Amino acid sequence: MQAQRLLTKNPRAELYYDIVELFTGLTLVGFLWTHMIFVSTILLGTEVYDILAAGLDDYYLSYIGIPFIIIVAIMHVLSAGRRIPTRYQEQKVIWRHAKMLKGTDTWVWIFQVITGVSILALGAIHVFVVLAQWPIDAAISTERMTAFWWFYLVLLLLGEYHAGFGIYRQFVKWGWFPRRPLGFVCKVITTIILGLGFAALWVFNALGGAL
Amino acid sequence: MSNYQIITTDVLIVGAGLAGERAAIEAAAAGLDCIILSLVPPRRSHSTAAQGGMQASLGNCAMGKGDGPDVHFADTVKGSDWGCDQEVARLFVNTVPIAVRQMSYWGVPWNRVVAGKKTLPDGREIEDTKDMEGLITARDFGGTAKWRTCYTSDGAGHTMQYAVDSVVIKMGITVHDRTEAISLIHDGTTCQGMVVRCLRSGELRIYLAKSTVIATGGYGRLYGASTNAIINEGSGMYIAIDTGIVPLGNMEAVQFHPTGMVPVWILITEGARGDGGYLLDKNLHRFMPDYEPAKKELASRDVVSRRMIQHIRKGLGVESQYGQHLWLDIRHLGEKHINTNLREIANICRNFNGIDPIKDLIPVRPTQHYSMGGVRTNIDGAAYGLKGLFAVGEAACWDLHGFNRLGGNSLAETVVSGMIVGKKVAEYTLGASLNYNYTQVQDFAKQQREKINTLISGKQGKENVYQIRREMEQTLMDYVGIFRNGPDLEKAVAKLQELYHRSLKLGLKSDGKWANPELSSALRMPGMLKLALCISYGALQRTESRGSHAREDFPKRDDVNWLKRTLAYWPAGSSLPKLDYESVKITELPPGDRGYGESSANQGKK
Amino acid sequence: MSRQLTFSIFRYNPNDPSSAPRMQEYTLNESTGMTIFVALNQIREEQDPSLNFDFVCRAAICGSCAMVINGRPRLACKTLTKDFKDTITLMPLPVFKLVGDLAVDTGTWFRHMSLKTESWIHTNKKFDPIAQEDRMDNEVALNIYESERCIECGCCIAGCATANIREEFLGAAGINRVGRFMVDPRDERSDMEYFEVIGSDEGAFGCMGLMACDDNCPMGLPLQLQLAFVRRKITMAGLKS
Ligand SMILES: Cc1cc2nc3c(=O)[nH]c(=O)nc-3n(C[C@H](O)[C@H](O)[C@H](O)COP(=O)(O)OP(=O)(O)OC[C@H]3O[C@@H](n4cnc5c(N)ncnc54)[C@H](O)[C@@H]3O)c2cc1C
Ligand code: HEM
Ligand code: HEM
Ligand code: SF4
Ligand code: F3S
Ligand code: FES
Repeated sequence: MQAQRLLTKNPRAELYYDIVELFTGLTLVGFLWTHMIFVSTILLGTEVYDILAAGLDDYYLSYIGIPFIIIVAIMHVLSAGRRIPTRYQEQKVIWRHAKMLKGTDTWVWIFQVITGVSILALGAIHVFVVLAQWPIDAAISTERMTAFWWFYLVLLLLGEYHAGFGIYRQFVKWGWFPRRPLGFVCKVITTIILGLGFAALWVFNALGGAL
Repeated sequence: MSNYQIITTDVLIVGAGLAGERAAIEAAAAGLDCIILSLVPPRRSHSTAAQGGMQASLGNCAMGKGDGPDVHFADTVKGSDWGCDQEVARLFVNTVPIAVRQMSYWGVPWNRVVAGKKTLPDGREIEDTKDMEGLITARDFGGTAKWRTCYTSDGAGHTMQYAVDSVVIKMGITVHDRTEAISLIHDGTTCQGMVVRCLRSGELRIYLAKSTVIATGGYGRLYGASTNAIINEGSGMYIAIDTGIVPLGNMEAVQFHPTGMVPVWILITEGARGDGGYLLDKNLHRFMPDYEPAKKELASRDVVSRRMIQHIRKGLGVESQYGQHLWLDIRHLGEKHINTNLREIANICRNFNGIDPIKDLIPVRPTQHYSMGGVRTNIDGAAYGLKGLFAVGEAACWDLHGFNRLGGNSLAETVVSGMIVGKKVAEYTLGASLNYNYTQVQDFAKQQREKINTLISGKQGKENVYQIRREMEQTLMDYVGIFRNGPDLEKAVAKLQELYHRSLKLGLKSDGKWANPELSSALRMPGMLKLALCISYGALQRTESRGSHAREDFPKRDDVNWLKRTLAYWPAGSSLPKLDYESVKITELPPGDRGYGESSANQGKK
Repeated sequence: MSRQLTFSIFRYNPNDPSSAPRMQEYTLNESTGMTIFVALNQIREEQDPSLNFDFVCRAAICGSCAMVINGRPRLACKTLTKDFKDTITLMPLPVFKLVGDLAVDTGTWFRHMSLKTESWIHTNKKFDPIAQEDRMDNEVALNIYESERCIECGCCIAGCATANIREEFLGAAGINRVGRFMVDPRDERSDMEYFEVIGSDEGAFGCMGLMACDDNCPMGLPLQLQLAFVRRKITMAGLKS
């Protein structure tokens, strides 16, 4: 190894990166699934939704939670994003490779990157909009959801896909269970969460009178 | 023409199988500079294919109680039908326990004794005791009085080769893989090295060394149906005999393994029978106990193979498009046992035949398996005829196996002789110096270059190498197989001589440039035919039956006339080997009955 | 009943400046039980004796004959032609240096891997020729053998996109190899020493869990679980010290 590299190399850097990738990933999945359950309380009626939103606000949970999630998301993008091939040639290799060699999980990863980069953009817009019209309440939400239902639909699909396969990948890389049953469990959970999401989307739109 | 690159070293080892690498370790440990040549990366050598195990008389397992070097010695000598060198056998059996433990020290995960009672497939109850728990265990193999074959599930050769190669890597020993030694360099009294063809680029190089070790393995691929890897073409042996000075020993002693799987001839290890597998005929009758009431399926290999052919000749074989065969039945061993201890076999059956040995019978027939013969050496592994030339492993006729090798004795031989001969090589090399004449040495390479040029130009003729090869394989299969007789052997010799002459008139279809595979085959062809002739001519001359050499016209062993070892030389320009004989050293165990096989069975009946 | 098969085979001789990479087609009548090994030999003997490929054991034990067969790295000797449609495409394994046509230099790669992972038993004990062997639990022995079964064929490396991008990545075979020594009580290396060997993006942390290795290993090694095991062990080692 060259002297400069030797001097600057931190022997544990890659270990830390990997751990950060693991924990931010898990946290974000946990967050997204909880968030989806919270949002879908609209199914129980606008009162429940508003009480919950107000509750989170009253106990400052939002004020701790939101910045925390934003920081975690940034760390996630940095740690997981380091895997994304940056050099043009590497990207070409990946594409050629994925096309030539049939490996399902290689495609899972490629979609992980694509969906990840997409939600980076969409998620940022969404968070910005929600924060700009603080606080959360059913009426405002309904307004946004009816106006931008297509935006939420896309975000929902991408986000849940990314979360569902993300957690699958983490268990594959770290866990004790074989892939096939793991994949099945992750798909079931994702389907349930998606169901909740669709239902909430539908209720918001019904509330807004769009339907 | 320009001169060839010369690479010099202290010890040149040709062959990176278990025997070659083990010898190299010994030489390198003595501080010598050492280069190993190999056709393939060491871990692809044929040794890795050995599944069954290695014999070592540790006596740890229940059925091994009371075992020791003396019992191992008696088994080996009987197995060899008194054809082996008893001094070598004694040295061997005394060293094996050290070797197997050293393998363990280097990382082989030998299966271990698990205490407790077990019921064998035949209903016998055995108990492994607590005091032995965790020591190296053993399984049953043919021709042994005790359970003596140490194993790692069914990857004994694989784990041994990986362990030995790990030491080679650790010691930083140089390995030049994808190289082929094609000719020996010598000055008439001393071996100086090898002319080597690079199988990446096709270029020729000269390797010079104070001592050279041939460890190139067997020649199984002379036969059409062989369990051997396709690189086992006996190259080290014909390189040696090409000198005209170095003889090959006992080339007529060819072992057939009872259970090659039809029709791909992949070996089903003896462990399958050792663990309790049966041989069945077309009526699904278990016939071995009829012939060999005591040892049944586990008589020595030559005996079982002959009994199988005998049984097929009685019309009890199973018809198939690939000729007649018999069945191997391991179904009663149970799914768990098959999927762990015999997993490799199960995979082979599934992948190459589409059958599942848990439910199905395995089609088997005796198949060429091992060459007892090889470069004749003394007890130190030094080849006859040239100083500075040694041989180890299957390529050598150290003469541990005589006319029949016991299963498990060959892996044991590779590491034991590697250790012993390696030390002798080191001793010799430390006292030797490398003297050579530059032009003479270059001439050896130039000769090979000319051979190549002639082949490429097709000046000598247009014979097709693949055609000749097929005819040679067929001739040996048809006339020099398990049962032999005078007229057939004469046919074989005549046919092989014709093929030998034709092999000197080969022409290439392709351009022969670089590492051209057709050229590689063409270069080997005449040498392979020489070996084929040594085998069949030696068999023709030996008018007795001994071990694996079974003459229908001379069915008895004849100790009066034939208690001797064949030495085959190849005089320059000849198309037949010149045979010579030397007496066999009997030190401890005088010739007698083997306790199984034809002679015992007849005695039993009378 | 016998079909005609078309083999589309990659041809290139890197030694020869006049050679250019191309695909060449050969046709052949299928025989019963035909493997790619049988087919390639038939092509060489009857049609094109210059065709380069590697086989040694032809029984799926030596690891020589891996190539990309219709998009998957496999051992050619145990691949039956009947499992495919009429056209079979053969490519050399990626990642490894090309020797010629279908032959690649897996030997050099794996020797390098063994050197980097120091694939030998590290012990301070001296070998004592007269002592009884050290005892070991049979379960432990079987456990070691489970990962030692790797035949260094290179299928896991060739199928791994990471290994295709990063030259120094040791791949599943390398990580599995370290796992083999971790469970071996004879190896006295500390966790930290193992960490130094593969606690980086060249080893355990370079693996992105693409699982092509697990899909393609012809020996059926449980690579997913083995990789996760090593990742956990190495992480704990790195965190502890
Ligand atoms: C299928 C099978 C199963 C077996 N099972 C058992 C068993 O269970 N127990 C047992 O005891 N024995 C067994 N044997 C026998 C045993 O495996 C071999 O006899 C033994 O491994 C031979 O080892 P070796 O080192 O002499 O040769 P090999 O392992 O054959 O090595 C030969 C080496 O020489 C090299 N080489 C050859 N020619 C040249 C050349 N011209 N130039 C350069 N290099 C060259 C090759 O590349 C290779 O590295 C089995 C054999 C077979 C066929
Ligand atoms: C904000 C924009 C995001 C980007 C750019 C992004 C990007 C990525 C990328 C590139 C990967 C692949 C890394 C790898 O597998 O090695 C990845 C993995 C993952 N992402 Fe995201 N992601 C984003 C948001 C999220 C969110 C919101 C969640 C939570 C639901 C999430 C959860 C995961 C998980 C669990 C993984 C798997 C990590 C792993 O395999 O180690 N990501 N992400
Ligand atoms: C971190 C702060 C976040 C807050 C406070 C938040 C809040 C909300 C709220 C209030 C809604 C209801 C609709 C609305 O009012 O617009 C909603 C919906 C949604 N959010 Fe978020 N969100 C956050 C982050 C994210 C992220 C990172 C993602 C994506 C990965 C995401 C994906 C979605 C989706 C898909 C919906 C629509 C749900 C449905 O279909 O029913 N949110 N979010
Ligand atoms: S782990 Fe499997 S695929 Fe990889 S080299 Fe070993 S045997 Fe081949
Ligand atoms: S394919 Fe490659 S990225 Fe990891 S899981 Fe296997 S080594
Ligand atoms: S030739 Fe040995 S694995 Fe295929």
